[in-house]
Amino acid sequence: MQLIKLFFSPAVFALGFLWPLVTQVILAAELMADGWQVWLVSALVVLPFVIMAQFRGSWIWIK
Amino acid sequence: MDQVAGFNAMDTNLDHLTTEQLDVLEREIAKKYMHQVPWGAVVWGIGNCLIFIALFPLVLLEILPIWLAFPIATLNCALAYLPSHEAQHNIIAGKGRPLRWLNELVGHVSTIPLVNPYRVLRATHMEHHAHCNDESLDPDYNVHARSNADFFLKFLKNRQPAGVRDEDYRACLERLGKSELMLDATLFQGAYLLVLFGMAWSGHAIEAALLWWLPKMIAETHLLYYLSWAPHFPGHERGRYRDTRAFRSRLGNIFSAGMQYHIVHHLYPRIPLSLTPAAYRELRPLLAKRGCELGGR
Repeated sequence: MQLIKLFFSPAVFALGFLWPLVTQVILAAELMADGWQVWLVSALVVLPFVIMAQFRGSWIWIK
Repeated sequence: MDQVAGFNAMDTNLDHLTTEQLDVLEREIAKKYMHQVPWGAVVWGIGNCLIFIALFPLVLLEILPIWLAFPIATLNCALAYLPSHEAQHNIIAGKGRPLRWLNELVGHVSTIPLVNPYRVLRATHMEHHAHCNDESLDPDYNVHARSNADFFLKFLKNRQPAGVRDEDYRACLERLGKSELMLDATLFQGAYLLVLFGMAWSGHAIEAALLWWLPKMIAETHLLYYLSWAPHFPGHERGRYRDTRAFRSRLGNIFSAGMQYHIVHHLYPRIPLSLTPAAYRELRPLLAKRGCELGGR
């Protein structure tokens, strides 16, 4: 049950989808060149949302 | 009572009829629109899902550009619920009928783009009909809102990880003694996430977002606005003739998914969606006499 809860958690959604999505959007928009830096920047973009979703229960603060 | 059979509600002076005679007349009219297989909904439900699934290889193999696939996928998601809704009400074929398998097939297949399992939708939707506008028993009550803006704000809040919508459905299934159906929801949601994750980590996150993630979100907004909120607004009253209303959509009947006449569906759920406008026009004088909210339609 804990594993299922983890799979459906905001953190796993961010790791599985949002992080690569933001990375690929940055690359597609040619805002940065490919490399580890773009992964770091996209992680920094996604992280505040993940923290909000995981601990406050809302991706956008309001709830 | 038989004397009202064959009367036309448009021509009959309804003031002279008793409540029982109005009941008979109403049922006589409704009966004309029931017991017809909605073949359009069958083709729509299965075809829509097949087109949606086909978009994935077409886009990944670069046969179809993503800018064109995105609006198609959004349309597919927006059109996914209604055929299943016909199946939920056994309109295609009831239990024991020869075409029952088709009813169930359409029910299961058509909502795949929305990632909503048929059995969960059917169980919770029947509760919505049985307890429409009841704050504690109607699983769709959480979309009730005071205005358009309030609806969108509530929708955003309900979609958050701590939102109440999923919880209300889970509680409804538990109340019905059908908690095992949550497994369907878990499997659907799990498969959906695996597709998103798989596409994202193989370099197709933008395609996944534009083929499924965003279209599903847009379609859910449209669906809840027109199917759950607008026809039951303001949602303060209960009772056969007061819990649902007719309304005039500025965007027309097709864009509003035929929900302008949703009042007919709540009175006679076995009337196919495509026939509700005609049934409404014939029932209108009776509904006005009953004190229904007809919103200028």
